[in-house]
Amino acid sequence: MKIKLSCRSLMVCTSLCILSIPLCAQSIHEFPDTTTPLRAQVAISERLTLGNHWNEGTIIHNVIFPPAGLDRPIVGPQADCLDATSELLVAFSHKYATTKDPADRHLADSVFAGIQRLERVTGIPGLFARSFNRTDTALWHEKTLWYPEWHASSSLPGYRWLGDLSTDKFTSIVSSVSMYWELCADAAHQEAAADLIDRFVGRVVNDNYKLTDLDGKMTLWGNMCPDLPHQPLNSLLMLMGLKATHRLTGKPRYDSAYRYLIRTHRYDDHQILSKMLYPEEWRNVGDDYHAARALYLLLRYEDDPSLRNKYRMNLNRHWHDWKSMDLSWESSPWFVMTYRVLTGEDILTPYHMRHIRSLDGFERRRRSFAIPGPNGTARVESEEEKVSAARIRNYWFGRYHGIIDPTW
Amino acid sequence: MHGTRLTFALVLFLYLGTANPSAAQPTAHGTHPPPGMVYVPAGPFLMGSDKGDPDERPLHTDSTNAFYIDTYEVSNRAFAAFDPSHRFPAGREDNAAIVTWSRADAYARWAGKRLPTEREWEKAARGTDGRRFPWGDTFEESFVTWGPENSRGGSIAKPASPYGCYDMAGSVWEWTDDWYKPYPGNPRPMEQYGERYKVMRGGSHFNDWAMWRTSHRYYLLPEEISRYPVGFRCVMDAPNATEK
Repeated sequence: MKIKLSCRSLMVCTSLCILSIPLCAQSIHEFPDTTTPLRAQVAISERLTLGNHWNEGTIIHNVIFPPAGLDRPIVGPQADCLDATSELLVAFSHKYATTKDPADRHLADSVFAGIQRLERVTGIPGLFARSFNRTDTALWHEKTLWYPEWHASSSLPGYRWLGDLSTDKFTSIVSSVSMYWELCADAAHQEAAADLIDRFVGRVVNDNYKLTDLDGKMTLWGNMCPDLPHQPLNSLLMLMGLKATHRLTGKPRYDSAYRYLIRTHRYDDHQILSKMLYPEEWRNVGDDYHAARALYLLLRYEDDPSLRNKYRMNLNRHWHDWKSMDLSWESSPWFVMTYRVLTGEDILTPYHMRHIRSLDGFERRRRSFAIPGPNGTARVESEEEKVSAARIRNYWFGRYHGIIDPTW
Repeated sequence: MHGTRLTFALVLFLYLGTANPSAAQPTAHGTHPPPGMVYVPAGPFLMGSDKGDPDERPLHTDSTNAFYIDTYEVSNRAFAAFDPSHRFPAGREDNAAIVTWSRADAYARWAGKRLPTEREWEKAARGTDGRRFPWGDTFEESFVTWGPENSRGGSIAKPASPYGCYDMAGSVWEWTDDWYKPYPGNPRPMEQYGERYKVMRGGSHFNDWAMWRTSHRYYLLPEEISRYPVGFRCVMDAPNATEK
């Protein structure tokens, strides 16, 4: 199948446009073959992602195919859609920066439009959904696969959206839109990106550094507040959000907020311990993923030597674990490449390069689902496909920085 | 704001005439807690917060009669004794039971007890001095029960609340008897207020640290708990309930 790309110019405010990439799940059945070159495998991963996981510019990370989804193929757990969406935006931004092909920029623009829609669908400026579906009625998985935080959209009739945004999704939005702004967006899209981040992070600042939901309460994982106890990682994420937003918008209020959290509440010291090293069983690659994205921006955007040293201390704690970690998890090779890019150190061992050269990432399996219906709960067997957006991100990040050879 | 709170706490402290809740243990009243329960004396305490969510406001003085409250959340083993159809993973007999509000309420009645009101739950968790967490004001990760695999009494350091309750931060959310309504003096409207949602307290192993604060409130449909790990503990009225 070929992805249909629109010839018309994409408006900056595309959130109401019907994107030209069709919503057509399970349309790709061509799977990566590890005997083919890496570039060919990644090309197939891109087609799988766009063909099977695309949801109006956002990416659904796990797709459950019929019959589990009944008559609607693209449904699945949607709590982490923003991670996959952001990975694809970072991937296409780096891809465009590498190839300078307008088609790659158009793909990035389309993903950015999806992130715009995540705000538009909530009807509240600066409030973002985790994900959305075009449907008038509640779908079966709304009460089974995540917390039932689904709402009918008041601003986009015929849509339902998932709330309760968390700090990791805060990181997904800010870091990916910043990379898009930096590497890919044209002037009009840069302005739109800055406006979007201004509304998003501005709302967080106005709410005393909390992610608040439709009901006005802080979300279950929305705490970056100086007046409430929070994880060191969340201090890091908040500093990243403010630094990036100041860079994109140029607005002094974000620099002031950044300085305030550092001078009054010592977020710069608190963030150093983002990486929990001991007890070892508490080490968490998921938290590493959020820290790595934050440090990648902070260590490139911050000029103050003292603050750079503190961010570097944080990175050092992560490297203590990363240098010898199992690289089979989808973002682990990216951690190593990130460290290489940020430090310039020649740390890539044959073990690292072997994993970077293979970049696993595709997964399709059969699962059993309990599907609630009017006549009770039915158990249905179906195939579930996991998106390979991280693999695509890893590849184009490595290509852009000269770590991955284009002939591989 | 912090100074106001300290002054407020000091006045309350002087009013109560004791800084140590154990000084008012039931032996002073000639009664003993039933097995598995601890005694909470009658009297005022600091309730709510000015720093949390809008629904925690205002920080105010409330009071309770004397009551007994379960030391731990009700376990799967205990709940299965009431309802043999209760299902849980093998090996988790001592974990907290995760049930709907009506099942929790039915268990409590069966046991000759009842679900705590919000004010009873909060007083049992924070004592009289307005502390942020059951053990004090400073967060400590080893004090919290983190994992679903050890959701009852599983924290490393096992700190108790001022009256001797465990796991009032983390583990599972805990049902209260109360509908989700604003505190007196809270002017901020919420469409969720009313008699549709029940209040649950204490946070679970799967949420931010701030949900483990003693004043945090969360609302949930009583019969649709979805993926929220929510359990409960019970209370009983204590004799000699009036503070002397």
